[in-house]
Amino acid sequence: MNVAQTIFDGLALGALYALVAMGLALVFGVMRLINFAQGELITAGAYSLSLTGSLPLIVSILICFIVCVGLALLLDIAFRRLRGADPTTALVATFAVALTLEAVWTIAFGTNGKPADLLSALNTSLTHGSLQLRWVTITMIVGGAALLAATALVLDRTSIGLQMRAAARDFRAARLLGVRTNRVIAFAFAMSGVFAAVVALLYTVQVPDVTPQFGLDITIVALVGAVTGGLDRLWQAAAGGFVIGFANAALGDILPSSQRVYVTTFLFLLVIIVLLVRPDGLFASLRRVNTDRV
Amino acid sequence: MSPEPLLAIESVELGYGRATAVQDASLTVDAGEVVGLIGPNGAGKSTLLLGVMGVVTPRRGSISLNGRSLAGVSTDQRVRDGIGLVPEGRHIFADLTVEENLRLGLVGRAAREGLSEDLEWIYSLFPVVQESRSRAAGLLSGGQQQQLAIARALMGRPRLLLLDEPSLGLSPMMIETVFNALAQISGHGVTAVIVEQRAQITVEFASRTYVLTNGRIVAELTPADAQDTERLIAAYLD
Amino acid sequence: MRLLRNTVPLLGVIAILVVVALIGESTSLATQQDFITALVSVVIVYGLYVFVGNAGVISFGHISFVAVGAFAAGELTIPTEPKHFTLPGLIPLLADHSVSNIASLAIAFAAGAIFALIAGAPLMRLNGIAAGIATFAILEITNNLLSFDTNIGPGATTLSLVPTSTGIFQALLGAILAAVLAFAYQRSRRGRLLRATREDPQAARAMGVNITRERLVAFVLSGGIAGLGGGLLVHQLGSITTNQVFLDLTFITLAMLVVGGSRSLLGATVGAIGVSLIDSFLLTAVNSVHVVFFNLTLPSGSADLGLGALMALMLLWRPRGVTGGRELSLPRLTRLTRRPGSADKRGAA
Repeated sequence: MNVAQTIFDGLALGALYALVAMGLALVFGVMRLINFAQGELITAGAYSLSLTGSLPLIVSILICFIVCVGLALLLDIAFRRLRGADPTTALVATFAVALTLEAVWTIAFGTNGKPADLLSALNTSLTHGSLQLRWVTITMIVGGAALLAATALVLDRTSIGLQMRAAARDFRAARLLGVRTNRVIAFAFAMSGVFAAVVALLYTVQVPDVTPQFGLDITIVALVGAVTGGLDRLWQAAAGGFVIGFANAALGDILPSSQRVYVTTFLFLLVIIVLLVRPDGLFASLRRVNTDRV
Repeated sequence: MSPEPLLAIESVELGYGRATAVQDASLTVDAGEVVGLIGPNGAGKSTLLLGVMGVVTPRRGSISLNGRSLAGVSTDQRVRDGIGLVPEGRHIFADLTVEENLRLGLVGRAAREGLSEDLEWIYSLFPVVQESRSRAAGLLSGGQQQQLAIARALMGRPRLLLLDEPSLGLSPMMIETVFNALAQISGHGVTAVIVEQRAQITVEFASRTYVLTNGRIVAELTPADAQDTERLIAAYLD
Repeated sequence: MRLLRNTVPLLGVIAILVVVALIGESTSLATQQDFITALVSVVIVYGLYVFVGNAGVISFGHISFVAVGAFAAGELTIPTEPKHFTLPGLIPLLADHSVSNIASLAIAFAAGAIFALIAGAPLMRLNGIAAGIATFAILEITNNLLSFDTNIGPGATTLSLVPTSTGIFQALLGAILAAVLAFAYQRSRRGRLLRATREDPQAARAMGVNITRERLVAFVLSGGIAGLGGGLLVHQLGSITTNQVFLDLTFITLAMLVVGGSRSLLGATVGAIGVSLIDSFLLTAVNSVHVVFFNLTLPSGSADLGLGALMALMLLWRPRGVTGGRELSLPRLTRLTRRPGSADKRGAA
């Protein structure tokens, strides 16, 4: 049935964008930096999957994670200079790095797509009555949810997670308590690398052709979602990413075919409306605490 | 006569960019003492504390802990070496619970041993902190937050506790509670430096109080001077 | 004397523009296009600068004004007969009229300004990242509509048959005009008020400054200048597609401004010209270029790599931009004319 189909597609795409949004929010939280290069981590992971296609699956996946986290830590080092810089400058700088990396992929791999169909078995469908559900969709939803749950555990239960949350609220105060800020920031980057690897894995099943622009396109949409949700709180940002992914899929199905080219317009009109009505984010102040504003 | 002072600040100049907050300050703090630092707003008191914490680097002069210079030592290392700061305005993490705030205080602790005894002691100092353990810290009143801030700093088992304006925004009753706790903390062997705008209570409480005006130390007062209003005013208006 | 000293920043910038134009005139025809591109880029960057530099709020949407200006100027200068044939869906306002070159540039300015007024009015009270995303939404919407709506444009195809009237001279005049407008605004009372809100919004509000309104004024002016840039652009290329006025141009314009220094007219100028010329050089080198003793042929994609790497390094090294937010000033002149006791307002906007 069409509605159920739409809902599942929406959930899957939403989960994907939620993960990317979360990666962005993690780094933003500890560094106040919008990392446009986050998408390049995803592309790098996707290319590594493509290149290691002949190796056993587990090895391929492991290498993907190593590549993503490794590149993320390199970005951490590269962006050290941007700490405390003007937000606009920082943003343009990360965008420049993203474009530079994109150019590197272009030179190295060309502009034609590279196949990365590892988990292509997941492209088969599970039929239940009139509902046709691809395994990949289910995997995306379950995988995304699992990763988000794992993140929640890390943030709530571990010391480093607590330090990250504190640093995101009040960096200076955290530092004065003895929090090793370099370590916390590096950890945030590493986590965003893990997210990127998972996204690369899930997305290449859906879209097996890896192109250089792969990552940046996802990042921009996820960023819009994250800001709409509320970039300064992890779960709000993830929810925002989810909503924009869901809306993107849903609008594509809901709009009559003549209007389907205008999905973008409708989507961004919604974004503007949300930002005007709730500039701090769609989900802001759902849990308002008396902040010690000094 | 005790050996070296726990904290020695010698001819230190501190500033931000082109501005200079502390022109030339020298002071010493011996182990076990409570030393006060008073002065008008903008005199440079907070900056001096930030210099001790390593957030602001001195342009001139030196800061030493137990005779060892702190130059080049990172902030987090200084905390592990035993310096704790209760910042101006408390800066507790409002969305985190009281308990999480305390756990953060552990980050700067050099060794885990003695933790349960310390916790017991801290709870006895500040019962309200124990009672509100699972509440969001932002829901506490100003006075309670101040107690939490001190408790949090104590979790790191500091040898030297720096307090930046602990009486700020508190009612007289609350101030008394806080200073009583500070007396007990001092009695426990923790050295303390208290930065305050409230001259009288500080001069009465501390064993010695420095006066910082326009970035310079202009006087050193003792509790005997607490009632000498003229001397206090003269020190401020130097 | 004082008037001269006050306008030195503007005169200096105009001098730079004139020098660029003169160099461009004297080079080969192929290279001349690069210099025209540089001057047109200057206009577009000025458009962005008037808002970002004065309001301190980021905008990712300015290229939508460039797009509106480009398409408006382009469509209205195509002769009506071929236009009815190539763009049959156009509304009568656009289809039945054909205007002169100068008129099209004026219309481009107006179109950009009006669009900025309509789109900007609701958005001016947003700050920081929200403003950035909202303006980005404007960019996406404009691009989407222009790419598919055949009532207002060619839809998914290229708009062509536009007269190529932008040579060095027209580009230079456009750049000077834009510079004068930008400078006049930033020195005007309104401009100074807006800059004040950048430093301390609360104090400004307390003094009765209506931040939203002042921002809108800057936004409309910047939209007009950006629209003018679009008009100049379409007359340089003789054609335009929606892709040419979308993400790539947005990034490079922003980068030009930030690398040069987003707080001063000089910064915008230096950034635009510098980055544009380097970009042109790299693009040419992808084919082949003669560098001193040897031929340099870079693989495809290198232009982006070089430019991106340059931007990144530049920003990581000098986050405040090359000029650090300072305008041009003549130290000796100010010392000669300064009366004892008066403050030296060097570097003030």
